[in-house]
Amino acid sequence: MVKRNIKTPISEDVGVSKILNENGKRAADDEPKDAPKRVRTKSLYRQPTVNELNRLQETESLFNSNLFRLQVDEIIQEVKVKEKTEKKFQQFFTELKTHLLAIPDDDTEYDLSTNTLAKKLKLKIPVNEQLMTTKCVFQFHKFSDVEIKGSYGLGCSINSKLRVDLQITVPSETYTKNDSINYKYHKKRAAYLACIASHLSKLDTIEDLQYSYVNSCETKPVLDFKPVGKLGNHLSVRIHLVCESDAYKLNRFSPDRNNLREAWLFKDDSENSTEIGPPTPYYNSSVLADLTASTNQEFLNEFLPKSDNLKQAAVLLKIWLRQRNLPVSGYVVCLLVAYYVQIKRINNIMSSYQIVRNIWIALKASELDTKGISLHKGDSAPSIDDFHKHFPVVFVDKTGYYNILWQMNRGTYSALKRECALAVEMLDNGKINSFLPLFMTPVRPLMKFDHLLRFKNLSQIKESVLSKTSRESKVNYGVEQLSLVADVLYTLLAKGLGNRVDLIQPIIEDDFSWPIKKTLDKARAGVDPKLSFGFILNPENAMNVVEKGPPANLPEAEQFRAFWGDKSELRRFQDGSITETCVWEGEAQAERRTVTKQIVDYLMKLKYGIAPSQLFQVSWQLEGLLARRGAGAGPEEGSLRALQAFDLLRRDLRQLTQLPLDISAVYGVSPIFSYSCPVPALPRAAPHNPWKRGNSCLVKDITRDGLPVLPEYTPVCKAVVELGHSGKWPGEIHAFRCLKAAFHLQIAESLTKQYSLPTQASPTHIDVLKNGLVFRLEIAHPKEITLLRREKENGVVKYRESEESERLQNETVLLPKLRGALHGLHQKHPSFGATCCLFKRWLSSHLLSDPHFPCLVADLMVAAVFLQPQPSQPPASPTVGLYRVLRLLTDFDWARDVIVLDFNDDLTREDITKLEQQFSPESPGSPRIVSAYDPPGLARPRPDARVLARARALAAATLRYVEGSLLTEYRDNILPMFVPSLAGYDVLIHLHRPLVPHCLERVDSPPRLQKLPETPGHEVIPVVEFHPVLKYLEELRSAYSEFALFFHDLYGGEVIAVLWTPDIKEDREFQLTNATGLKPIPSKGETKYRVNVQALIEDFRILGQGLVKDITVN
Amino acid sequence: MKATKRIQEFKALELKLTKDSLAPHTIYLKEHVVREHTKDKPQGRTLLIVNIPPYADEKGIINAFKDAGHVQSVQLCLKPSTAEVKTVHRFLPEANITTFRAAYIVFKKVAELDKALKLQELRPLNSDEHKVKVGINKWIQEYNDSILLPTTLKKNIETFMAKFDADSQKAEEKEKELEQEDDEGWVTVTKKGKVQSFARTEKVENKIMKKEEKNKKRKELKNFYTFQIRESKMKNIVALRQKFEEDKKKIAQIKQSRRFKPF
Repeated sequence: MVKRNIKTPISEDVGVSKILNENGKRAADDEPKDAPKRVRTKSLYRQPTVNELNRLQETESLFNSNLFRLQVDEIIQEVKVKEKTEKKFQQFFTELKTHLLAIPDDDTEYDLSTNTLAKKLKLKIPVNEQLMTTKCVFQFHKFSDVEIKGSYGLGCSINSKLRVDLQITVPSETYTKNDSINYKYHKKRAAYLACIASHLSKLDTIEDLQYSYVNSCETKPVLDFKPVGKLGNHLSVRIHLVCESDAYKLNRFSPDRNNLREAWLFKDDSENSTEIGPPTPYYNSSVLADLTASTNQEFLNEFLPKSDNLKQAAVLLKIWLRQRNLPVSGYVVCLLVAYYVQIKRINNIMSSYQIVRNIWIALKASELDTKGISLHKGDSAPSIDDFHKHFPVVFVDKTGYYNILWQMNRGTYSALKRECALAVEMLDNGKINSFLPLFMTPVRPLMKFDHLLRFKNLSQIKESVLSKTSRESKVNYGVEQLSLVADVLYTLLAKGLGNRVDLIQPIIEDDFSWPIKKTLDKARAGVDPKLSFGFILNPENAMNVVEKGPPANLPEAEQFRAFWGDKSELRRFQDGSITETCVWEGEAQAERRTVTKQIVDYLMKLKYGIAPSQLFQVSWQLEGLLARRGAGAGPEEGSLRALQAFDLLRRDLRQLTQLPLDISAVYGVSPIFSYSCPVPALPRAAPHNPWKRGNSCLVKDITRDGLPVLPEYTPVCKAVVELGHSGKWPGEIHAFRCLKAAFHLQIAESLTKQYSLPTQASPTHIDVLKNGLVFRLEIAHPKEITLLRREKENGVVKYRESEESERLQNETVLLPKLRGALHGLHQKHPSFGATCCLFKRWLSSHLLSDPHFPCLVADLMVAAVFLQPQPSQPPASPTVGLYRVLRLLTDFDWARDVIVLDFNDDLTREDITKLEQQFSPESPGSPRIVSAYDPPGLARPRPDARVLARARALAAATLRYVEGSLLTEYRDNILPMFVPSLAGYDVLIHLHRPLVPHCLERVDSPPRLQKLPETPGHEVIPVVEFHPVLKYLEELRSAYSEFALFFHDLYGGEVIAVLWTPDIKEDREFQLTNATGLKPIPSKGETKYRVNVQALIEDFRILGQGLVKDITVN
Repeated sequence: MKATKRIQEFKALELKLTKDSLAPHTIYLKEHVVREHTKDKPQGRTLLIVNIPPYADEKGIINAFKDAGHVQSVQLCLKPSTAEVKTVHRFLPEANITTFRAAYIVFKKVAELDKALKLQELRPLNSDEHKVKVGINKWIQEYNDSILLPTTLKKNIETFMAKFDADSQKAEEKEKELEQEDDEGWVTVTKKGKVQSFARTEKVENKIMKKEEKNKKRKELKNFYTFQIRESKMKNIVALRQKFEEDKKKIAQIKQSRRFKPF
């Protein structure tokens, strides 16, 4: 039997097909398919081969998961340079090389301080004014070779914005011994480049010949051009100049040597001009980069091209870096890979996944800022410590003299380390498909940072900073002032913000290219480089209002005072300590979030005299919207007040005596209980001269100036009450409800009796006034849901979901759990609630408020941003949070995927898959965001496809607008993102403004000062939940939903926009059961029926009598 | 003959709220004629109207048909239905849905119905004595009505429960009566009788059906003949193959949607 088994797969299939033939059922079908069938059989029933088994095992052990491997394969395939392109380029390159090598020798000697060379070449030499005046004599010596270098040469390039690096080695006789100082080397290099440029311009197979420089290295230009024709669409070519390694002795450029004289830089012709100044490691490195290029390239060639896995890993790392926009070049990546191979951290039989993972882990733990690494073996070179004295980050090359990371700022390095840590975390998180956030999602500055600092007029800032910088560092950086400014400001900000920030990353955007016939300074005019700083805030410390310094009697206090200036003052704290302290403004939560801005503004002013108006900071822009106008408090304060009152009430309820059943639990369900209500209920003063019935106020039926006078809108905070278990509830829905009402009545009476709280019982709920806020309690019992689901069919009792039962289940079972989870989320991430408020306001301002875009869905969408923040971390400021939510809204594939929220981090991978399958988005009514609390099969209100499409379109437009105003236009007022367009709607119903609740909360309404009452009313329940606009909308929607959709801004919108259904103007069939809204239209002897649009509009006016001001038809 | 013609065609008339309404709705009316008339919609006197606008109330409709004669009753309903309306004893009043409705109007005399069918014009809903309540006024009234004094609520609850108790007692007695042997010797099995029975719910039914099926399965021989074994193996393989194909499709779908273009 066992022996046969091996054969079975094939023989059995044959047997089966024979049986089928004998049956005669599919004989005709099977006959002609015989030949292909065998092939199929083979593939389906074949024994696994060794290769296949190996691959399977490999996937298990070497890659994260099967999916990860598949995706890695896909992406590598995608970014690979196409063979066709390679062939074409090879052809082009041969041609180019022949042309270049035919460059004529020139024996003439040119004085580079004059224009003779430029005139002869008929183009400009790519140097700036500062270097122009330096005297040196240049003679062109022919080079011997043009080589393909960089990533294309190593075979790890990326097929997007592909740039092929060519390298020309300048013969060492071009430079004299003295050229190493005062930028003479750079000047000659530029002149050499100009010669090549002039020769190249004669070649007609290239176009777009331009000078450019990278990494803000103004003194080291390169030459960019494109091949003519189709090849130019795929790639561009860049020529780098390096020099022969024997041109200078490397130790001339040791980090502690000086090669840039102060006298030259500051133009003082005083007698000490011969004196050698402070070390210039930065300047030295710019020369060293050229000198050591060939040695390092050889070293790379030893390692990389041999192993496909290493190359793949390098490509993956490069994609990862590019998505994050980190200024780490592919060259550095390759050298890092080589370094880790050298120290045997990785080897070339590892899979690309393992290599990448290992490098991330290594970099995460690395300390290049204190313990630098070196590729150099031997001890002839300067020690690592020497490098540390002069560079923030140290990674020494093969020769032992050149610090590869000489341009890297400390901030950039910590950003790199942080990203590595995040990457490892993502890989280890089995719950998400980590591939997408790691490699596929671009991380934009607004996505990543909580706070951005930008400069409006950089050149002016540059001057003010430079004027206060030490001569020493100025000499070191030479003419590369931008890097100097970035470094100086970084140090200041890092010191000033301390533990308030987790990361400060300088972002320099200064890659520039210009045509060869223009001088650099002319091309430069008007195009400022951009410098910005991104901050990731520490959620715990960022909002501290008090900056505690050292105790007053210590010597450090003096330094503290010197650093902070007048802001520092002596304070005595409750614990008895007396310390130097800075105190920032921040009473309300919204104000406290601006402390970072306050500090930056203050320090810039204090240290460099830069006015706050010169700075542009992102992230506080929408705080104003959060502070409730007038009341002087944001949603956080309002929610907190409500929660405190609710806790007291809860305690009271639990201690009620004389109830037949005990109260076992009370859960809050209103958004206010998760800090996500933009207009939280506020305690009100006792109403003036009210009409009363029992404990409640009535609405007065009075008018003034022809308009009814309505009480101020007071929302209630809803909660559900669960009672102890009892089997005595009646088994009939109406009787059940009656008994529920009896309980309401009894609870209300007891509350009044025991705690003398004013209450109002109604059949469906109890209203209680506590601390000036009205709470609405409702008893929830699962039996009510069961009774609602019950129906009788042929005498058999069946349970079916009905609309009512679903609603009740959502409100009394699901909502309390979700609200609790969201409340917990806010405790963990304090900006959650405020982000929710902003997002809801945004949705509502574009007229997509509940029920179009249900409030709970909005809350959960924001929760998704906080729970699944990959590839970044949860946002710490609401403005950035809103940006991220909008990104999620536009980028997520809502039609195909669902978001599974894991609130307590306790779902397993299997649970998540199960939930994903249960709630596939194709099934109607399935929520798009689910959590473990969702009972399977329960429909939750969700935005329908059209609303979602509109919301996404609006979000995309808003994002474009926000990015434009914040990143390019430096506009502080981005409130226009909350202004809806009313074009495109068919009918606009204008309402009387004074009757619209929350009309003072509108974005466009002027702030109004209104203080909270000192003693909130405590005797009578005000008129609650009396919202005429919602009443009106309810009626409109219930009566006219088959003809039109109604849109409205919940937060003070005074317009209701109406959109007819697309078929409103078509002929309809007249039926007894379907005659609504039709009017007869006689045409050609017969009567046709159409919707009576005029009458409908008239109806809108009738139903809204007293509220509607005007109706306009577009 | 005349009557049949009426059935087929609805008569269209405009129904205005006030005299000077500019764009009124058109309502459609005809005589209510069915095979079996119920008590509340008597033959010959009942008028069926459809497309009554949301704001119209009973009094308003009586106003509108004042020219025809005395209206005995107006029955507003969501959909025209011939069955008699049974009132369910409910504690919470049915939610008042604002929407288009149908109505049955019963006139006092047959002649009035005929007159109504011949009307060329209706009076407006609003008259001097009665104004239809809409808009803010309506909402204010609704709100104020919803505020109940505790004593009122208590009374409501008590009366409802008393009626409910009486009703359920009656039902119980009725069931008990059914327990008794009837003339032919039949006994009806009820929930609370001496004869044990099972609850007639879906759950219980499903349970019984499952049990039956299980029994059936037990009797059947499944792994007995060689061809059965072979077929079951084949089925297994086919299932696996199908799953494999599905997986492949899924990956293809991912490929299509994500396209793996990082930039």
